[in-house]
Amino acid sequence: MSSLKLLQDLVAHDDRVWCVKWNPTGTLLASCGSDKKIVLWGEEEGKWVAKVHLTEAHERTIRAVAWSPTGTYLASCSFDKTICIWKRDDTGVFGAIATLEGHENEVKCVAWSVSGEYLASCSRDKTVWIWSCEYDDEYDCLSVLHSHSQDVKKICWSPVEDVLVSCSYDNTVKCFKDDGDDWTCTDTLTGHESTVWAVAFDGTGKRLVTCSDDRTVKIWQRFNALDNSASQKPGWHCVCTLSGYHDRAIFDVDWSAIHGAIVSTGADDCIRIFEENLTAQDPLREPEFFAAASMPRAHSQDVNAVSWNPVRGHLLASCSDDGLVKIWTYARPE
Amino acid sequence: MMSNGGAKGPENVNPQVYQPSERRVLTADEENEDIVDKFDCREVFDMVRQINDPEHPLTLEELNVVQINHIEVDDERNRVVVLYTPTIPHCSMATLIGLAIRVKLLRSLPERFKVDVRIYEGSHVSEVAVNKQLADKERVAAALENSHLLDVINQCLAVQKK
Amino acid sequence: MDGFSGTLRLTDLNDFIAPTQECIKPVKIERKSGKLSAIKITSSGDYAEVDSHGVETKLVKAQITLNDCLACSGCVTSAETVLIQLQSAEELCRVLDENAKVSAAERKLVVVSVSAQAFASLANRYQLTMKECEEKFCGFLRSMGVDRVYDMGAASALALKETQREFVDRYRSGDRKSALPMLTSACPGWICYAEKTHGLFILPFISTTKSPQQIMGSLVKNHLAEHQCKSPSQIYHVTVMMCYDKKLEASRDDFYDDLYRTRDVDCVVTSLEVEQMLEQRNLVLSQCESVPLDRLPGVESSFHAVGGGAGGYLENILSFAAKELFQTEIGPIEYKVIRNQDFREVTISVNGEPKLHFAAAYGFRNIQNIVQKMKRGKCPYDFVEIMACPSACLNGGGQIRPPDPSVAKIWLQNVQQLFDSLDCQKLENVQWVQQLYDAWIGPQDDDRKRLQLLHTQYHSLENKSNALNIKW
Repeated sequence: MSSLKLLQDLVAHDDRVWCVKWNPTGTLLASCGSDKKIVLWGEEEGKWVAKVHLTEAHERTIRAVAWSPTGTYLASCSFDKTICIWKRDDTGVFGAIATLEGHENEVKCVAWSVSGEYLASCSRDKTVWIWSCEYDDEYDCLSVLHSHSQDVKKICWSPVEDVLVSCSYDNTVKCFKDDGDDWTCTDTLTGHESTVWAVAFDGTGKRLVTCSDDRTVKIWQRFNALDNSASQKPGWHCVCTLSGYHDRAIFDVDWSAIHGAIVSTGADDCIRIFEENLTAQDPLREPEFFAAASMPRAHSQDVNAVSWNPVRGHLLASCSDDGLVKIWTYARPE
Repeated sequence: MMSNGGAKGPENVNPQVYQPSERRVLTADEENEDIVDKFDCREVFDMVRQINDPEHPLTLEELNVVQINHIEVDDERNRVVVLYTPTIPHCSMATLIGLAIRVKLLRSLPERFKVDVRIYEGSHVSEVAVNKQLADKERVAAALENSHLLDVINQCLAVQKK
Repeated sequence: MDGFSGTLRLTDLNDFIAPTQECIKPVKIERKSGKLSAIKITSSGDYAEVDSHGVETKLVKAQITLNDCLACSGCVTSAETVLIQLQSAEELCRVLDENAKVSAAERKLVVVSVSAQAFASLANRYQLTMKECEEKFCGFLRSMGVDRVYDMGAASALALKETQREFVDRYRSGDRKSALPMLTSACPGWICYAEKTHGLFILPFISTTKSPQQIMGSLVKNHLAEHQCKSPSQIYHVTVMMCYDKKLEASRDDFYDDLYRTRDVDCVVTSLEVEQMLEQRNLVLSQCESVPLDRLPGVESSFHAVGGGAGGYLENILSFAAKELFQTEIGPIEYKVIRNQDFREVTISVNGEPKLHFAAAYGFRNIQNIVQKMKRGKCPYDFVEIMACPSACLNGGGQIRPPDPSVAKIWLQNVQQLFDSLDCQKLENVQWVQQLYDAWIGPQDDDRKRLQLLHTQYHSLENKSNALNIKW
């Protein structure tokens, strides 16, 4: 049986912590929250300590942060309608180099494309924006996508191509791609019955996991015309729904590219881990996932985000309304 | 008379006014500080009954917007559910009232409680939308960072001088 | 909301609040004695008031005019229902019907002005050449009881002429910080966005010259009215346009004549609505009788500006400015595409030194880059032709839709081709424009008349929304 164990409580925030994100090398963890502050945590002699506090860039809650693929840049977005770009200089110090304005309301998520060429943001104003990242640290708006009919909660890029996925209060998930002149919505994934709070790709870019206020986690798979699956038309299809595990809204999911485990968390204060049943693999059958581990009272209040360490796959970070960031170790079954 | 979500006056100009309930009589156990009280409906009702209506010089109890029998409390499982009834089915203040109730409970109840504030079924035309909005913690958090909105909420929550 | 430009759609959180709750504008309603009453929803979905005797009275919905909406910093979008009442094909038909019934003395002169972009959309839909389309559509309108049908060449010419003058004045003023870049004002979606979102910062940069639609309004209600010895209110003026946002423009207070209680443009109908009008009558445009277009007094020939479907601002202002400011004749304009086809720039150099730097920015994303560059003090341009719609006005929200979204690109290309088939001219090569200008506006130093007839102003809309109705 797998197990999840608390490694360390990280104390530095004075209020609700909204988001945690590991840098690409897995050496730094960024956290942010209602105290308008970003904390970068690093390991020193086996202990995670707050190394840097980034403050004064935002006037309101910092809702999310994102690392660029090289780890040189960090983007933060806030209820103050702005996005801030932080750059690490040669001495390892982070400084704010640009503020991106344009959203009309709270910015809820930012994400860098795997190529580092694009930055995407989404907002309460119902739009998704794509920005180009230039070598001279200039950011231009490439596209403003009005596809969602309600606020857009989260966005993420495919790990293998320039495809963006967004999820929304309008209960849908949408995919976007550059068609040569502008970005367009290529797919709309429907199935959730309430707000879709988060979306994450697996390591191959062929599957997505989503979680929702409807208390389910859904796995989606992209079928190509070439796939020898008679049952599915090309496009994204829901291949698995995990329900009955969380009894309140599920706020975040993450899919480890290293070992393939999915972690979910939400308003029931619980962290759960799902693994795919690979023994009975039949390409024509829908995949099966099972609950591999759970931590019922992981935090004393709502857990807002979870993040797998992208290099040290057993490390998991979480953050909560209780003001804490926690690091967990996940031991998989042999 | 101005109306239609009017800035100058309430929509429902002549609401039915209800008699507020008697003050709660404290039992001997409740006065005994050594005994840990469990939260019950009455206690939660006492938290929300004196919230002022945003438009009328009346409390939510006087307008029958909150009722003790529309409150559920499960102390052991840390759950509180408050159902409220807008005075009229198209009341444009419904979301604001719900937000005021939510904020009052956030400020009054211990953090361990999970609170749901919803419209009493069938009492508002936009029930589903209002409930979804109130359940969205991110929208609630953002709303409470809007100083104008927070002012209004604080006025609703201010104790009225009678 | 579909017909409006995306730029307009962005400007508010109008999503959550239900229709009855959307509008925060206070409206006066009748109220009888204040008896205790309850309001309930009837089985048909209407609201009814129930008095103490149990008698139900159906409640009348409060009426809000488009003007209330425009003067309000709240949502743009609830304006839509109001638009349907005031600015629609139905309203045009109603006016025409009424007009047919009244005595000759009371009868209004019904004038329809049609934009070239709308002609191109109709020509494409009904497989006609531009010339055929103009005449067939004119024939259709005449058959409905319209008295005059004009194209908007004269208005477009005067708009360009006045914008040329305004640009050169701004350039020469030396006050480059607040005068340049000059941003065009012909697109009402952009104006609405600028007023509601960037107010005081951006408005000084926007050209005060009226849009072709509103100059057409002045020409009809002032120039034509004088010529016909009519008061402005005796003329009912309709424009046929490429975009819904034009309805908002026509409804602005700035274009309302208090004295005669009339608007320069009384009603705006889009190409799409014309298609619907024809379909409702089981008509195909090609079957309509051909009638040549009318010409306004002083207009000797048709005029189509060089420079594309957005009105030709960039090209006509650039060539005039090069000549006027640097005594340079410019040849064919070579654009440099920045990122996408909707963001292009052109630089004119004199003796190897770059002197004039112009850009065209269409669609919200490109507007955004211009505005943000200006805010950061990094906008290199002297003049920007700004339009809210991607691909500009030929792709306006009011244009006829393709039968299938998959052919949208070809559909637009065909409209473009039809538009390009027009015999386009440079403004300075058209003799009658100056004569019309002089005859109507008078000597050039008569600023009062010039400002009244050819210029307008913008208003920053601060967010004063009622705290009780803040949307979150």
